[in-house]
Amino acid sequence: MPLKHAKWITGIITLLLIFPIVIGLVGTLLPAFAYFPPLGEYSISLVPWRNLFAQGEFYASLKLTLITGIAAPLLALWFALSLLAWGYQRPFFTKVEAALSPILAIPHAAIAIGLLFLLSPSGWLVRLFSPWLTGFDRPPNWITVQDPYGVSLILALVIKEMPYLLFVMLATMRSIKARESLQVGQALGYSRFTLWRKVLIPQLYPIIRLPIFIVVAFSLTVVDLALVIGPNTPSTLAVTLLRWFNDPDLSMRLMASAGAISLMLVIVVVLAGWELAHLLFSKLTRAERSNGKRFGLTDSLLRLGVVLGLLALLNAFLALALLPIWSLARRWRFPDALPSQWTWDNIDRATPLLIELTSNTLTIALIATLLACVISLVMLETKRRSYSTDHGKQHVFDWLIYVPILLPQIGFLFGLHVLLIYLNLNGDLCAIIALHLMYVLPYVYLTLKGPYLAYEEEYLLQANRLNHRPWRNYVLVKIAMLKPAIFTAFAIGFSVSIAQYLPTLIAGEGRYSTLTTEAVAQAASGDRKQVGSMAMLQAFFPIMVFWLAQFIPPRWTKWRLKFKKAFNTGLIEKDKMC
Amino acid sequence: MLTVNAFSLSLGDKTLIKELSFKIADGQVLSIMGPSGIGKSSLLHFLSGSLSSNLTTTGEAFLNDEALQTKSTQDRKVGLLQQMPLLFPHMSIIENLLFAIPADINKAERITMAQNALEKLGIPDKASALPKELSGGQQARVALLRTLLSQPDYLLLDEPFSKLDPALRRDVRAFVLNEIRQANIPALLVTHDPEDAKAMEGECLELGRE
Repeated sequence: MPLKHAKWITGIITLLLIFPIVIGLVGTLLPAFAYFPPLGEYSISLVPWRNLFAQGEFYASLKLTLITGIAAPLLALWFALSLLAWGYQRPFFTKVEAALSPILAIPHAAIAIGLLFLLSPSGWLVRLFSPWLTGFDRPPNWITVQDPYGVSLILALVIKEMPYLLFVMLATMRSIKARESLQVGQALGYSRFTLWRKVLIPQLYPIIRLPIFIVVAFSLTVVDLALVIGPNTPSTLAVTLLRWFNDPDLSMRLMASAGAISLMLVIVVVLAGWELAHLLFSKLTRAERSNGKRFGLTDSLLRLGVVLGLLALLNAFLALALLPIWSLARRWRFPDALPSQWTWDNIDRATPLLIELTSNTLTIALIATLLACVISLVMLETKRRSYSTDHGKQHVFDWLIYVPILLPQIGFLFGLHVLLIYLNLNGDLCAIIALHLMYVLPYVYLTLKGPYLAYEEEYLLQANRLNHRPWRNYVLVKIAMLKPAIFTAFAIGFSVSIAQYLPTLIAGEGRYSTLTTEAVAQAASGDRKQVGSMAMLQAFFPIMVFWLAQFIPPRWTKWRLKFKKAFNTGLIEKDKMC
Repeated sequence: MLTVNAFSLSLGDKTLIKELSFKIADGQVLSIMGPSGIGKSSLLHFLSGSLSSNLTTTGEAFLNDEALQTKSTQDRKVGLLQQMPLLFPHMSIIENLLFAIPADINKAERITMAQNALEKLGIPDKASALPKELSGGQQARVALLRTLLSQPDYLLLDEPFSKLDPALRRDVRAFVLNEIRQANIPALLVTHDPEDAKAMEGECLELGRE
């Protein structure tokens, strides 16, 4: 990109990235110490903290958050490592790899709603075995989803996080020379799982540490998933805080801010504990790695992980398959495995609402993602330049971009909300798009980063020597050659935007609903046919965009040339005659 | 006529090239040989205006008595051919050629020029083929013609034959020499291979020999 003033642009983008983060943090920190001008609170005190620590609900919620927030990433990591160790480089595994991106693309609320349909007492799993095995002709009054221990929430988190971790791991396989190590190790007589345990996983872990941290932070702070499938009264801390923030008694906000600060501290403590545990674990296993044993008892831990991981994947697919079934069902009485009557009526009836939700959702997602793509390209170009001048130095963007993903949305976004009110932007579409952009940008940037920096710059240099139109060449040569990467980044950004719940809710103040906010709001209400339709659409668009992003780039040039030929044949023929 | 006077190149306090001078007449190819790391490619970058900033150079370069150093890369009208043909993979062969033809020529004439180039290469039927559908030798030739179609005032060749099969090299070398003579511009070839230098039928300088 023939950018001028790269230093200035870097500075401005850095400020634009830091500004909302600082405002969000300050906007949470000050109310936590009772400084909140909008409510006429100007004195610093510890009252919010005292109130918080006096709440029994805080401790109960915190316990649930710790259980779900630690168990889910641990299980997800275990399953993902097991599946990788089991399937890596085997022919059938490419199919599993192909199945990963749709699951990654689907908003987590849609998966949670599908799981609700699958696992609830009147859900499909019980129906499948009723009445012939269980003898139930009405739903049992078990508590299977939204259980007080958060087991169903953990399952939903694992289903969402395992594919992500697997995806990240697969991307790093080449850099640790996994294939070569396996060949060498197997020639030495080591079993596959033992090799993974002793050789590959220890190399893999440091590379995927940051994605793991993202997963841990997400598990500790997730709101929408927990609203749909998590426990109620007490709920996880993030959900409890959301309720406090939305309480009609505005002074609850101060206590909620103190709660949000403690949630941030919880993330730091859990991550520190996680690293400490990893350190201890690798100390303990170091001697075992070189004891020469070609098999080990702990191999079966990986074997078990494979079975459980596959079960989780199966759950995910069943859950997704149930969304369209519910939206097309007319009569579906309890023990029937499938609806007895089908109809389009549900969708017809919901059409006006669905059209409004869909247009809101798509407008926000398309604008936010397009902006994110352009900004990412500018950021990467300035990074590439600094790359060629001072080698190996970490660019400011490389760590700054992770901050929005790692900070808990709850609290932080309420701090930003105060700013939106000051700017008179609350409830404005621009504000929603801006908040979406903050969460879309990191994923787009990180997806584009590798391919953009690996681009063979000589092509562009040669183009500029051949004709001296740098901007045109940047688009027609560099951007055109990076098409596959840009399409993929767009698809990922798009799916991130579709999935956003809290940013839409807080910036939109209920004036703009999207498929996600409405599906989450109605998930509990019980009209499964309508919720099914919303969740289905919510899942449909990202899958569609992902598919297009895979389908179009390899065919683009062929199509373009065909189109040109059909359009230009006359011209070329005429030239020949001259 | 491309003239270089007293060109010196150093990296830190290590001198790589000292006081190199030469002249290349129009339609002639001067070959420069020498081991890797001696600064051959840096000489080309000096002449094309894309030298990296950690190298220091002294000396002057002139094209037909006009100083080159004061001009930016895009004002120099330089053609550069490298090991990789660098044909744009997402454009057809004819689009690659059209890309290089100056925009101020009218459309019909541009298409005729590109088609003449394809005729010359003996692949008029490959106009809308993609670069990957051509053999390595064909790609190298297309790359040369593309560079020449951009109507450069002088040509720099950075080991353009080293990635080709030995059997192909002889044909491609002859083709390149013939085209440079027809274009009637000075050309500088940098190479490892004495055969390359011999085939260009011009002067040959060896660097790194005291």
